[in-house]
Amino acid sequence: MNENKIIVKTARDREKLFIALYKSVFPAVAKYVSKMDGTFDEAKDIFQDALVAWYEKAASDGFVLRSDEKAYLFGISKNLWLKKHKHNTRHIPLDGFDAESGDAAAFSDSKILSFLQTAGKKCMDLLRSFYYDQLPLNDIAETFGFSGIRSATVQKYKCLEKVRETVKEKSMTYEDFLD
Amino acid sequence: MRTSLIETEQIEAHLLQLSDTGDALVFEARMLLDPELMDNVLWQQKACQMVRVYGRDQLKQEIESVHQQLFKDEQHQSFRQKIMRLFTKK
Repeated sequence: MNENKIIVKTARDREKLFIALYKSVFPAVAKYVSKMDGTFDEAKDIFQDALVAWYEKAASDGFVLRSDEKAYLFGISKNLWLKKHKHNTRHIPLDGFDAESGDAAAFSDSKILSFLQTAGKKCMDLLRSFYYDQLPLNDIAETFGFSGIRSATVQKYKCLEKVRETVKEKSMTYEDFLD
Repeated sequence: MRTSLIETEQIEAHLLQLSDTGDALVFEARMLLDPELMDNVLWQQKACQMVRVYGRDQLKQEIESVHQQLFKDEQHQSFRQKIMRLFTKK
């Protein structure tokens, strides 16, 4: 059963996976974009957004490999290209939670995020594995060097509490600043 | 786990809808009666949202670094040439 699962426990695993996907699917995407009179940079942007969308779907499916994985990734790329040209905009935001908008709330969010990236990177990396990569607890415990699932869980909640308090405190500070 | 961590765990169960119906109802009633708990639920939701944005940003950087490797390192020269030919023929 495990043969169908992609191993993505560490950053090195992800690097290997993306190199493999780049080598097997990017040539077809580049060919398509070139045929549509697009540039190399456009092919690159489209493919990288497609990889993010593909990865997030794979994470939510527990990284179980589909039989038509490459065709699926090519399909996402093609759709992103068509969407982009239908709306005639340079950048199509991915669904969900991009912090790229010009309003005050987004400004405050990006400030908080850069604070968390520097002051709380260890916790953010641990929480990323849980909430973004959606990795199983035993894999996370192993990667982050915890003695077991129990201590990884406790650390996760400690980090979550810390990040929650930071977000609360900083949001209030930036709101005061913007008022 | 200390009490505050247990509460953090319960908030998570609420946000990810992991609790059974009985526990979920009790938690919702507690939220209505305890403004501080309600406040923590909202901030925890926001914190998780920020973690996901962080995750996506980090993943984009990892992908960009793979791109740089493939289009700069000697060992991937033939791959690079194959791609670049597609854009220089026109």
